[in-house]
Amino acid sequence: MSATAIAGMAIGEVVADLEIAGAWAVDPASGRQGPADVLVADGILREVCWLEGDAAAGIDDGGVIVAPGLIDLHAHLREPGNEDAETIASGLAAAGHGGFTTVCAMPNTDPPLDDAAVLARLRAAVAASGSPVGVLAHGAVTVGRAGERLAALGELADGGVIGFSDDGAPVRTAAVLRSALLYAGGLGLPIVDHPEDVGLAEGAEASDGLIATVLGLRGVASAGEEAAVARDIAVLEDVLRDEPRARLHLTHVSTAGALRLIADAKGRGLPVTCDVTPHHVALSDEWLAGARRWAWEGSGDPWSDGALVAAPYATSLRVNPPLRSVTDAAACLTAVADGTADAIATDHAPHAVVDKDVEFGLAATGISGLETALGTVLAAVAAGRLGLGRALAALTIGPAAVLGQRLGRPVGLIEGAPADLVAFDRAESWTVTADTLVSRGRNTPLLGRSLPGRVLLTVAGGRLAYVAED
Amino acid sequence: MTVDLPAATSEPPAIDAASDPSSGAAIPPPRWRHRHLLDVDVLSWQDIELVMVTADSMKEVLARPIAKVPALRGHNVTILFYEASTRTRISFEVAAKNLAADVVNVAAATSSVTKGESLIDTIRTIEALGADTIVIRHPVSGAPYLAAETFGGSIVNGGDGWHAHPTQALLDLYTMREHLAGGSLAGRKVTIVGDILHSRVARSNIWTLTAAGVDLWLCGPPTLLRGFESWASRGAASGRRFTVTSDIDAALQDADIVMALRIQRERMAGGLLPSLREYAARYGLTSERLETVHPDAIVMHPGPMNEGVEIAPDVAAGSRSVITDQVANGVAIRMAILYLLAGGGRG
Repeated sequence: MSATAIAGMAIGEVVADLEIAGAWAVDPASGRQGPADVLVADGILREVCWLEGDAAAGIDDGGVIVAPGLIDLHAHLREPGNEDAETIASGLAAAGHGGFTTVCAMPNTDPPLDDAAVLARLRAAVAASGSPVGVLAHGAVTVGRAGERLAALGELADGGVIGFSDDGAPVRTAAVLRSALLYAGGLGLPIVDHPEDVGLAEGAEASDGLIATVLGLRGVASAGEEAAVARDIAVLEDVLRDEPRARLHLTHVSTAGALRLIADAKGRGLPVTCDVTPHHVALSDEWLAGARRWAWEGSGDPWSDGALVAAPYATSLRVNPPLRSVTDAAACLTAVADGTADAIATDHAPHAVVDKDVEFGLAATGISGLETALGTVLAAVAAGRLGLGRALAALTIGPAAVLGQRLGRPVGLIEGAPADLVAFDRAESWTVTADTLVSRGRNTPLLGRSLPGRVLLTVAGGRLAYVAED
Repeated sequence: MTVDLPAATSEPPAIDAASDPSSGAAIPPPRWRHRHLLDVDVLSWQDIELVMVTADSMKEVLARPIAKVPALRGHNVTILFYEASTRTRISFEVAAKNLAADVVNVAAATSSVTKGESLIDTIRTIEALGADTIVIRHPVSGAPYLAAETFGGSIVNGGDGWHAHPTQALLDLYTMREHLAGGSLAGRKVTIVGDILHSRVARSNIWTLTAAGVDLWLCGPPTLLRGFESWASRGAASGRRFTVTSDIDAALQDADIVMALRIQRERMAGGLLPSLREYAARYGLTSERLETVHPDAIVMHPGPMNEGVEIAPDVAAGSRSVITDQVANGVAIRMAILYLLAGGGRG
C-alpha cells in the first residue's frame, strides 16, 4: 500500500491521492473478491482494478484486505451525559480505528434522545468532532425511556432518526410496543428492541447454567430473551394487519432459542431483522470463571479441562445480555453464517474506570467494542468458523440492508462514488491494550489479547477516518 | 503427619517455626502454596489434608490451659465484614487472637457497598494501616477476588454472596471426619437440605465433599435447587456420585451425614416459597424424618438456625447434633488457615 501520501494527513481531510496496490479486495455488494489495485483520487474511489495472471500472483486473502467501510447498527456514544465514558469525538475516533465508517448511535444518553433538541445537539457534536465517520441516530421510543408515553416520534423522524429504541431496556409493555410499532410504521421507521423479560432478568449477573451456579451469580434464563422475542414478534404480527409498513429490529440477540424464533418469523415473511454482537459470537460464560478461550474452543466446563487461566469475576465481562453458553455462542455464529442474523453490531458500551473497578455484581454492564469487533470476527474466520466474505458482509451490506434508504448512500466498492473503505492486514496481529484503544472506554475483556487484522486505513465518505501510525 | 507449634512461652515468635529444623519439628509439613484463601476449588487434596492436620495441632493448642501461641505475633489481621455476622466474625477474631495476632475489626455498613468508598479504596486504606491479612465477608459474589487483586497481603474469604465460604466447608469436613469411624468420607452419603440456590456454604461444601469422594445429595424445593442439576451432571461424568432431588425421603434414606441450611424469610417475598410453615412441613429436619438415616448419622447446621423451620429444636439439641462441635472446630480451622497463609506451611 502506498500510504506515503496519507502519512501526514489529518483526520477528516479529503484523501486526494491513494493507491492500495496488490491487495485482496472484498466487495460483498457485488459478491466479488480477489487481487486488486484500489485507486482513490480527490475523495472518489476512482478504480478497483481486479488483477489477473502474473499481476495477481502471490496475492491471497491472508494479507492486506480492502473492503467497504464497516457499518455498526448499535453503538453507545455516551454524549451528552456520560462524557467520562465516551464523547462523540472519542467514539468516532474509536470507530475509525475499528474500520467503521458509519455508526448508529443509541439514544440512552442523559438526557435521552427523545426530542429534536437532543438530536440537534448530537449533530453539532458530530460536526465539531471533525470526524468523517457517519453518525445515524436512533430516537427513544418513550419519553425519558420510561416506557410509558410515546416520545416525539414524528418530530424525531422529521429530524432524520433511523428508528426508535429504548435500548438498555426493552420497550416496557406489549401495549406500548404495539402503539410504537404502529406509529413508527406510519413514519416508515422500525422499532429496535432490546429483547429482555425484565422480571426474569431482575438483578441478573450471568446467564443461567453451570458457570453461574458454581460462581454463585444471579442467573437469568435464556427464556427471558426468548419470551421477549416471542412477545415482540406476536405484537408485530398483530400490528401488520393495520400498518403493513411496521418493522421490528431485534438487537444483540444472544440465545439459540431466540434465533430460532427469529428464523421462524423470517420464514413466515415477517419484516423482522436482527443483529448479534461479536462478544456473543466469540466469547462465552466460561470467561466469567477465568477461561480465556474462544467460544468455539470451549467445552462449557472449564473446571474439568484446565482452561482456567485468569481470575474469575472480571467486571469487563459484565454485559447485558450476559455472555451465554458455548452452545448459544455457536448458535450466534451459525446465525451469522446462514443469514438469520442480518448483521454483526458491536453494542459498543464504553464505561469509565470507576464504574467497572468495583465488585462484579455492582459493575456497569457493557463492553467497549468498536475497536475489537473486526479482530474478533476475524478470529472466527481464522479458526475456519466463518468465511471471510460472509464475515465482512455481516459488517457491511448486512447492516446496510437493515438500514435501507436511511443509510443515505450505496455500500460497496463502487467506482465513482465517495471512497468508503477499510484496509486491514490479516497477517498482522495487534495487542489490545489501554494504550492501543482510542475509546475512552477500555472496558474490554480482550485487553492483553492479540487479535488478527490490524486496521491500516479507514476512509469514510472520501475523507480520512483513521490511518495506522507506521 | 504432625505440625509442631511453639508453646506460648517460646521465643522468638517465628511464623516459620514449624518448618525450621531447629524448632524441633519432627516432620517438615508439605508446602502451602496459596497466598489467599478465596475458595476451596483451587485446593488440592494435599492442601486440604494440610489444613486438617494443622487444625489438629490447633485443637491441641486450644486444649492447653493457656490456649494461645505466638505464631502470628506482630501480624495484623483485619476483619472486614460487609454483612451482619456474629459467629463467623467472632470465630476469626478468636482464632487470630489465639495466634497472638493484632486484630482490627471493621464493620462496614452494608450501605457503603453501594455508595461511598469503593471496596478497592477501603482495601488500600486498610493496607496502609498495616494489615497483613484481611478476612472479608461481602454480599456480592466474587468480591474477595477484587480485594485480592488490590491487596499486597493475604485475603481470606469469610463468605461472599452466594459463592463461597471456604473456612465453613473446611470446618464441616473436619467435623465430619472427627465423627465418622475411621475418619474416611469416601462413599459416605452426605445430604445437604435447604436453600441450596442462595447458599455459599453448599457451594464450598460441594467442592470439598466431591473431592472427598462422598455420595453427595442436595435436597430442597425445586425453586431452591435451580441450576444445580448442571453441577451434578458434570460430577457424574467423572464417576462421582452427586444427586440433586426434591425428594426428602430419598435424600435422607441411610444418610451418614445430614446438613440443614438456613431458610431466609426473603425467599417468600421473592416468590420462591409459599411459606415457612410449608417448608417446615415438607423439608424440616424432624426426629420422625430422621428415622431412616444411618443409625450413627450426625446432623449439622452452619448456623444461624431457624429452629422449627429447617430443623426441629429437639434435633438441633439431640444426640446426633454436632452443631456446637462445628463452632468449636471453626476456631481451629481458622487458626490453621491464618497460620498457613502467614507462612506457617512454607517449606
